Amino acid sequence: MDDLKEQIELLERSDNLSASIADVQKAIDLLTAARAKIAADPQTAPLTLAKLHDPLKKTMDVAQKDLKPIYSGLNKYSRALEKKFKDKPLPAVENDALSSHPQLINRAIAMHLLREGQFSVASTFIDEANRNPPRPEPTPGTPNPYMQEAWGKDALNGDFNSEKLQLQFSEMYHILHELRQQRNLSPAIDWARNRTTVLEARGSNLEFELCRLKFVCLFVGRDEDGVITESEDGPLRAWQYARAEFAPFQTRYSREIQKLLGAMAFWPNVQESPYQRYFYNDSAWEEVAASFTREFCSLLGLSADSPLYIAATAGAIALPTLLKLQNIMKEKRTEWTTQDELPVEIPLPPSYHFHSIFVCPVSKEQSTDQNPPMMMPCGHVIAHESLDKLSKGVRFKCPYCPGESHPRDAKKVFL
Amino acid sequence: MAELTTTKLNAESHLLLDQPLLRMPYELSRRNFKTAQRYLERETSTLLTSLSSTSKASTKSPASQDQTLDSLDGMISKMQGLKRKLDGLHEEELKIHRHSKARLGHLHDLFEVKSLVDVKYDEWSRIRLSRLLVDYLLREGYSEAATQLAQEKNIEELVDVDAFIACHKIEKSLREGKRTNEALNWCKENGQGLKKGGSNLEFQLRLQQYIEMVRQGHEAGVENPGGGGEQRLIEARQHAKKFLSGSGDFELLGRAAGLLAYRPWDFVEPYASLYSPTRWTHLAQLFLTTHHTLYSLPPRPLLHIALSAGLSALKTPSCHSAYTSSSANASSSTTTVCPICSTELNALARNVPYALHTKSIVENDPVVLPNGRIYGKERLKGYNEKVGTEKGWVRDPVGGVNGERFRESEVRKVFIS
Repeated sequence: MDDLKEQIELLERSDNLSASIADVQKAIDLLTAARAKIAADPQTAPLTLAKLHDPLKKTMDVAQKDLKPIYSGLNKYSRALEKKFKDKPLPAVENDALSSHPQLINRAIAMHLLREGQFSVASTFIDEANRNPPRPEPTPGTPNPYMQEAWGKDALNGDFNSEKLQLQFSEMYHILHELRQQRNLSPAIDWARNRTTVLEARGSNLEFELCRLKFVCLFVGRDEDGVITESEDGPLRAWQYARAEFAPFQTRYSREIQKLLGAMAFWPNVQESPYQRYFYNDSAWEEVAASFTREFCSLLGLSADSPLYIAATAGAIALPTLLKLQNIMKEKRTEWTTQDELPVEIPLPPSYHFHSIFVCPVSKEQSTDQNPPMMMPCGHVIAHESLDKLSKGVRFKCPYCPGESHPRDAKKVFL
Repeated sequence: MAELTTTKLNAESHLLLDQPLLRMPYELSRRNFKTAQRYLERETSTLLTSLSSTSKASTKSPASQDQTLDSLDGMISKMQGLKRKLDGLHEEELKIHRHSKARLGHLHDLFEVKSLVDVKYDEWSRIRLSRLLVDYLLREGYSEAATQLAQEKNIEELVDVDAFIACHKIEKSLREGKRTNEALNWCKENGQGLKKGGSNLEFQLRLQQYIEMVRQGHEAGVENPGGGGEQRLIEARQHAKKFLSGSGDFELLGRAAGLLAYRPWDFVEPYASLYSPTRWTHLAQLFLTTHHTLYSLPPRPLLHIALSAGLSALKTPSCHSAYTSSSANASSSTTTVCPICSTELNALARNVPYALHTKSIVENDPVVLPNGRIYGKERLKGYNEKVGTEKGWVRDPVGGVNGERFRESEVRKVFIS
């Protein structure tokens, strides 16, 4: 890396066209001088012109010679690049399932831009994409993309309504902005209150968290700008707020509410009280904002982080492994046998695992809809196919414990 | 046995996607240099020839002083023109180097990050995604959106907007304008590189010119028999002699020659396909491939490469399952939606293979509800506390508060190895 940087700096600093430009200027100077001389004394013209020839030629030769350092500099840089990327060929896309679905990629990008809050880029993009619809390319997996184009189009018009999505996300960004920058909880609380039942069913305590934060703000007397004023009537206003708003939370959050109200007794000394962590917690705002984002996206059926981001990052992490695989397959001239499963395991950070995975301990295969995990009465789980093979339809012994059971007693489970 | 999970970041091998990032400016600066060299050589030789001829003329007829001054003026202004051109190239050169440096800096940042779970890696990866998106948009010809995105993300130095816009202008001139001159100019500018790569783009363009001439000839012949049609056909033949005869592809040349006899509306194969307008699409495609190879750009957008790998690495059989997954779904706040299940990517991921796992990955202390759903004990408890389930009862997070509830005693431990 440093090597490359050095080369570039050298090119930038010295090995550039400036020397040749100076030479050309010299040639111009020579010509102008000769012209002045001839204009002053026409008789000398033949002589001056003859004399001009050699220096002019020399100057121009120098100008060309001055290009040489650039040439060799570029060559050196190119060699350094070669070295850097010698063992890193561009990955070939052998199973390119994407080129045949440009519509879907475009939709994913549009949604990504919207959820990242880049509304103007998104609308430019949607405009351009509508003006020049993409051209699907056939790939081995999907030989005739045009067949499916209608389906892609449907998806674009059907459940993808960019304006609606944009409205939703601009609401989200408005609320987040108020939360983070203005420390204003009201829009978030209003949003949550309008969706109380849904949120409650999800087991989300977002609404309560927001209200609690509001209570805390009032208590410590945060003014409009978020500056702690420790004003005298803080606890009183907080208490009034609690009386007005906390009633619906009484059943579910009675303990938390007791804690909040218990803190009243310690005013103005909360900092040294056991309740300190509820009241002076700087990360509280970020936490609330994050949990708001998650709830908001989940209600739209979307993941909290941009899937495009996660997938592209996971892809970059996976590529070295896939490249190694490609090389090995080329060497051994084999092809992978199961088309619907990758032939190698790809190590990803734990945060990239979303679903639980069940791998049958007998067959070592992942469970699928056709081959679901089955729990035997003893509590051990194996895949359906393994169960069939082991039991052959009659009572059999669990491979992991002495328990015996009939296959019909095994129960399908969901992870 | 390979590790199941990793948080280690090997920056060196992580750069697979980033080769074009450095290649492109290198190719651009080389081209820039070649242009400068060509200008300088050409101007030098014309300068020296005109100087000698002026010199000769002035010796022969010393009286023609005005003429001498005039030709000197001509030389001066030509040199000034050269200097202006070189100045422009110099500016371009410095700009390209600045880009290269910014890119090296950007890649260097990655070497400072040691772990994949580092916040810094997250930032870096977000910049990379924006880069890949801009690259994709440019390739698809959505240059306005690309420019805007690059500006908003402040990554203009990391993407090659101008080069792609120039490329698409030429592509469009072929595909929509049905003109060959822009593309031919480009071939001329990059002649050496194309010759080295054995490209037949120029031949194909010349062939297209010939086809169009023949077409015009036949059409004129019908409209105005005995008029300019014949002349046009003769020109076409000369054109073919000049540009096409050297190719060596006699089969194709034979077909091309046949065009003189068969008219576009005769629909006789194999000549009709040469008259077909789809040839323009083919030419546009050929131009793009040639352009990308010349600049060491991968034939497919990098986003495709990253995404197909990523979709597979993340995809599980649960992502397109008919049953709701207990571990990642939208129905309770204890789980997040999996990116593959999310609307954006779900349909796209249908065609890619799913990731291989050799070991189960489940939450700690899995328990099973009477309805067959498995949850981590802690998570189930946490959810039920939050929704305020009555004591002694348990609710299924997927079913929600209004769903079925089960007796706590019915919740069983389950063993997953």
